[in-house]
Amino acid sequence: MKVAYFSPLPPEPSGVADYSAHLLPALERRIEVKVARRGAHRSPRRCDLALYHVGNNADAHGWIVEALRRRPGLVVLHDVVLHHLVAEMTIGQGDNDGYLEAMQVEGGVVGRLLAHGVIDGLLPPFWAERPEDFPLTMAVVGPATGIIVHSQYALDRLRQLGFERRIWRIPMPAWPVSAPEPPPAGEKLVIGCFGHMNTAKRVPQLLEAFAALRRGLPEARLVLAGSASPALEVEGTIARLSLEEAVTRRGYLDEPELWRLIGEADIIVNLRSPTMGETSGMVVRALSLGKPLVVSDVGWFAELPDEVAAKVPVDEREVERLKGVLARLAGDSALRAKMSAAAAGFARTEHDLERVADLYLAAIEEAAGTDDVEHAVLHDVARAAAETGMGPDAAELGEVAARLREAGLGRGRSRAS
Amino acid sequence: MRIVVCHPQVPFARGGAEILADNLVEELRRRDHEAELVTVPFKWYPPKNVVTQSLVWRMLDLEDVQGGPVDLLIATKFPSYVVRHPNKIVWLVHQFRQAYDLDRTVLGEFGEEPFDRAARRAVHRVDQATLSEARRLFAISGNVADRLESSLGLKAEVLRPPPQRLDYRCDEYGDFVLSVGRLDRAKRVDLLLEAAAADDGLRVVVVGEGPDRERLEGLARELHLDGRVSFTGRLGDEALADHYARCLAVFYAPVDEDFGFVPYEAFLSEKPVVTTRDAGGPLEVVEDRRTGVVSEPTPGGVAEALSWLAANPDQARAQGRLGKAEAERLTWDATIERLLGA
Repeated sequence: MKVAYFSPLPPEPSGVADYSAHLLPALERRIEVKVARRGAHRSPRRCDLALYHVGNNADAHGWIVEALRRRPGLVVLHDVVLHHLVAEMTIGQGDNDGYLEAMQVEGGVVGRLLAHGVIDGLLPPFWAERPEDFPLTMAVVGPATGIIVHSQYALDRLRQLGFERRIWRIPMPAWPVSAPEPPPAGEKLVIGCFGHMNTAKRVPQLLEAFAALRRGLPEARLVLAGSASPALEVEGTIARLSLEEAVTRRGYLDEPELWRLIGEADIIVNLRSPTMGETSGMVVRALSLGKPLVVSDVGWFAELPDEVAAKVPVDEREVERLKGVLARLAGDSALRAKMSAAAAGFARTEHDLERVADLYLAAIEEAAGTDDVEHAVLHDVARAAAETGMGPDAAELGEVAARLREAGLGRGRSRAS
Repeated sequence: MRIVVCHPQVPFARGGAEILADNLVEELRRRDHEAELVTVPFKWYPPKNVVTQSLVWRMLDLEDVQGGPVDLLIATKFPSYVVRHPNKIVWLVHQFRQAYDLDRTVLGEFGEEPFDRAARRAVHRVDQATLSEARRLFAISGNVADRLESSLGLKAEVLRPPPQRLDYRCDEYGDFVLSVGRLDRAKRVDLLLEAAAADDGLRVVVVGEGPDRERLEGLARELHLDGRVSFTGRLGDEALADHYARCLAVFYAPVDEDFGFVPYEAFLSEKPVVTTRDAGGPLEVVEDRRTGVVSEPTPGGVAEALSWLAANPDQARAQGRLGKAEAERLTWDATIERLLGA
């Protein structure tokens, strides 16, 4: 079998590009893979299946969505909410009609009218304010013959959105790194927060909680690394809270420096709300290094085992609770060590690269041929039914369908890893 | 108790798994249970058939028969365990190994086309769904249990089946090595023939039938073993017990076998067993230099092991007696108690 593989790849600054660079060698050891040239709208020749990585960013994924529209195939969905992507591929290209149509497909007449309001500047854009209210996911994944997601949350959301074909849940692969020695006892506590910062990353809330923590633990430090949306005013918030001395601010980091800084942290914080149904590569990196985690109690993050991550609900007490969690972890090195061991173990099992590649192979093989196998089986059943005088509407055939489903056959199942 | 034992039937073929199913029914009846064997023919090619025929088992209604309930259903090997029953126990002889460890080997069944690959995956899904619904899972060997866990993550308790009832005895440690079993490539009788070619003092008797017989007889001729190798075909119980009673040792070295009754049958006849390091299930039974010899899977290794036993009949006798003590610990009373107590 041969698979056409559509994905952004390094040096593109994209989490999905990093993901594919990590996964591809393991996948290529299992199946023949033909990587599609960036911008190609057609699948490489003589491939049995096309695999499309889709995320919520038109720069990285617009060309892949175009290719998917030309040839249906298996989609790896990195974000469940795709409003940004659709808006950039329509309004962003001067195609207002495309946006109106997508909103109408999702929200009917109301959706279309709201889209008119956005286009005419009468309403704030949904992609900035409430993308999860109109995910526009089905407008993109409609041609998908099946979808791979990384979390149960994403799988459930897709079902709610009406996707009825096969879905496989495959965890994001961990990086094969060995955990460094923990920082020596007595050193200053270092909290790390890594990755691009936008409003969903809840950096102001983290800074508020950190400032509160510092009142009881003045030697604590925070490393805040990643590019930031200008509207976020990270530096301004740091100054307002008088944290200039305690916060180390770094921009976009190359991989070696990123790994070094994650390795030096005692606790990693990765907050999120609203979630677009995504999985965090930074969290998986932290798991790979066996770091105690603090995350928001939403989406995929909420699925992390309690032994691995402390989860903070997103509500009016978020800052207070976050400060409490950080203080508890800061004051309990045994708890941090326990969470660290659990995180490394979880990365080795759930997120093991070879396991993930095996699950990909299973999904690819099922996606490429299961319809034909089921047709062949049903053909046998139908022929036997016809030869014994049963028509296609015979009630007995309903029992056959029920037995098929019980035995793990039949359409539209979900496959969890 | 009314008990149904489910086992697929491959027309014109009979091996250890069929003997196990028959014995189980017989032993249940001996203990006053109303037991019945239910079989459905199984043909595993082309690959589509594997899936279709598992569905045939799923369509059976064995919850009650003749107006009375079936209290317990014991399924054995693929696809019989696809059957549904509220009190289903699986005593797993083996999964459809061509979809697992034998895939992409010479013994594989599924090709590289998307249809074949997907049919293989469908077998995995069927197994996952229908084995995990069983009230309890047993496996006939640690090897079978390990394969189940590594392939599907399902745990099974190991419950080794006792061998068939025969008039086991030891008359002598004679001048021939005995091979018993179905003649197919996986049983690797050719290794024994090549060992015989390497040591012209070895005589071999091959008992059993199967699709590989013609090739093996041709190989014996090629190796100029005429007169030192005989193929008896399938033997009746009395003749089989007689061969066990008179042989020097028993050779049994399939490739990664599920379990294999032959070592226990040899032991009950006080005969040592020669097997190989890659034989799978037999390695759970045969202990090297204690109840037999575990050799390298090469003609030279097997020849060396058999020659050593021929040259040391006292060792052969001692090993055979230790083996008998092992085999006698495996009883149907204990086996059925575990199955029904489940």
